[in-house]
Amino acid sequence: MDFILNPYYLQIGMFIMINAILGVSIYLTLATGQLSLGNAGFMSIGAYTSALLTLKAGFPVYLAIPIGGFAAAAVSAVIGFPALRLKGLYLAIATLGFGEVVRVVFLNLKITNGALGLSGIPSLGILLGKALSSAGFDQGMGGLSVQQLSNVSVLLILLILVVFLVFFSLRLSRCRVGRAFAAIKTDETAAEAMGINTTYYKLLAFLLGAFIAGVAGALAAHITFYIGPKDFDYHRTVEILLFAVLGGSNLVWGPILGATLLTMLPEVLRAASDYRMMIYGAILVTMMAFRPQGLISEETLRFWKAKLGRRKEHDLNS
Amino acid sequence: MILTLDQVGKDFGGLKALSDVSFTVNQGDIFGIIGPNGAGKTTLFNLITAIFPPTHGRISFKGTELVGLKPYKITALGIARTFQNIRLFSNLTVLENVMVGAHTRMKSGVWRGLWQTPAQKHEEKAARERAKDLLNFVGIEAITDLSDSLAYGQQRRLEIARALAVEPDVLLLDEPAAGMNESETEDLMHLIRQIRDMGKTIVLIEHDMNLVMNICNRLAVINFGLKIAEGTPADIQANSEVIEAYLGKEDA
Repeated sequence: MDFILNPYYLQIGMFIMINAILGVSIYLTLATGQLSLGNAGFMSIGAYTSALLTLKAGFPVYLAIPIGGFAAAAVSAVIGFPALRLKGLYLAIATLGFGEVVRVVFLNLKITNGALGLSGIPSLGILLGKALSSAGFDQGMGGLSVQQLSNVSVLLILLILVVFLVFFSLRLSRCRVGRAFAAIKTDETAAEAMGINTTYYKLLAFLLGAFIAGVAGALAAHITFYIGPKDFDYHRTVEILLFAVLGGSNLVWGPILGATLLTMLPEVLRAASDYRMMIYGAILVTMMAFRPQGLISEETLRFWKAKLGRRKEHDLNS
Repeated sequence: MILTLDQVGKDFGGLKALSDVSFTVNQGDIFGIIGPNGAGKTTLFNLITAIFPPTHGRISFKGTELVGLKPYKITALGIARTFQNIRLFSNLTVLENVMVGAHTRMKSGVWRGLWQTPAQKHEEKAARERAKDLLNFVGIEAITDLSDSLAYGQQRRLEIARALAVEPDVLLLDEPAAGMNESETEDLMHLIRQIRDMGKTIVLIEHDMNLVMNICNRLAVINFGLKIAEGTPADIQANSEVIEAYLGKEDA
């Protein structure tokens, strides 16, 4: 038990969850066919907002995290109106530029402590540990120490959040809004001719993506206790994009699988950690050449459904 | 007088794609628009549905001025269209394509969709039933397949079903018979008449003269961006200018 629950594995588990949340955020903007590379920027807005609110204004963490999300969504609404007039590559370049602007702003502001970043951000784990202790679990429970217990709780909270976001995405894809997203993705002109307010739905997807990225950033801040502008640079943008490229962006499962694999990869290949960005680059090129739809696509799902369905039939017959 | 075009024109840079086209479509018409390739027929549809704005002129639908409105608003008012080069949503199933057409007739947003409230479920069910009825009406059975797996003629019919899901008063059909064989065209003519009998007004662009002359009660002929004739099929067939546009001028 102690082997599995060592802090190192628990931390990787938390990063996987954070990255899965980021994967859902890029999935939602891609659902309308918009390639937005501003997610690292929105993430940093969420992270800094939540960190500053708790550090300087004494806000409780559970309030500061959603406010971080709303701050990112508010900024996305302001830049969304002009940016969403752009299509394809132009939107990608504009949002990439936006991300860099945000980073440079945080790098130069006094309140964000410039390049040094913010440290000593209240940690979710420690807060939960305190709460558990005061609730009478100061000796731990079921053979787990308080520290393990609080780390496991953080992981569980993150897992619940990911499960909720998957549930949200699946429900969305089966309702009127999801059909509008899908229609805009394939053919914007035809979608508008069928009565869909394309500007509204593109902005909605952009906003949802930014909100979720902001929440992910805020959560990350309260798990690592330290954030700096370097955490949200161009490399982070590429990493988030890779979740969707590797896993596939047509189904919500794709970016989640991509996030899981890519978070585990550097840990498995510790020795090759200096070459991380090179490995990412190689993955990007290989995927584009051999499987541009990503690891999971609708066909993959249909294939496995048919296969498992047949096996069940076979079991029943034999 | 359900749809009126008044002196409508469109310039693309220096090119006059359409100039001063006026006509009136009446309730219950099957109004045909014919003319040689590149005459500006599809441009006319794109102006009515505001894919791009006219350079000048006015378009009114049931007394409402359409110029300046966004495409989705025009659709919501009750004008639906199909496309010359089929534009289905290939990532959605046949049934979902038709349900997208019902978008403006539905209300549920993100919140109701997420929690599947009773109102949302009810609306969704009604839309699904209606979409099934429409698919049955146009004769498509494979409703759970992805739309691009349908045969070509079926895809054209799916576009019509999707447009009907808008519950339009006016249906704009852009070359509905293109690529169809004779028996398919025959079925299509029957379908278009049935849609008219449902109380819809139809404006169609078509090259198939057999279809046009048989089902349209009125026609407008466009050539080089100008309307050169308007009238009943019999009038048009006797019009010397039209014959010249199609067959060329006889040398004296």
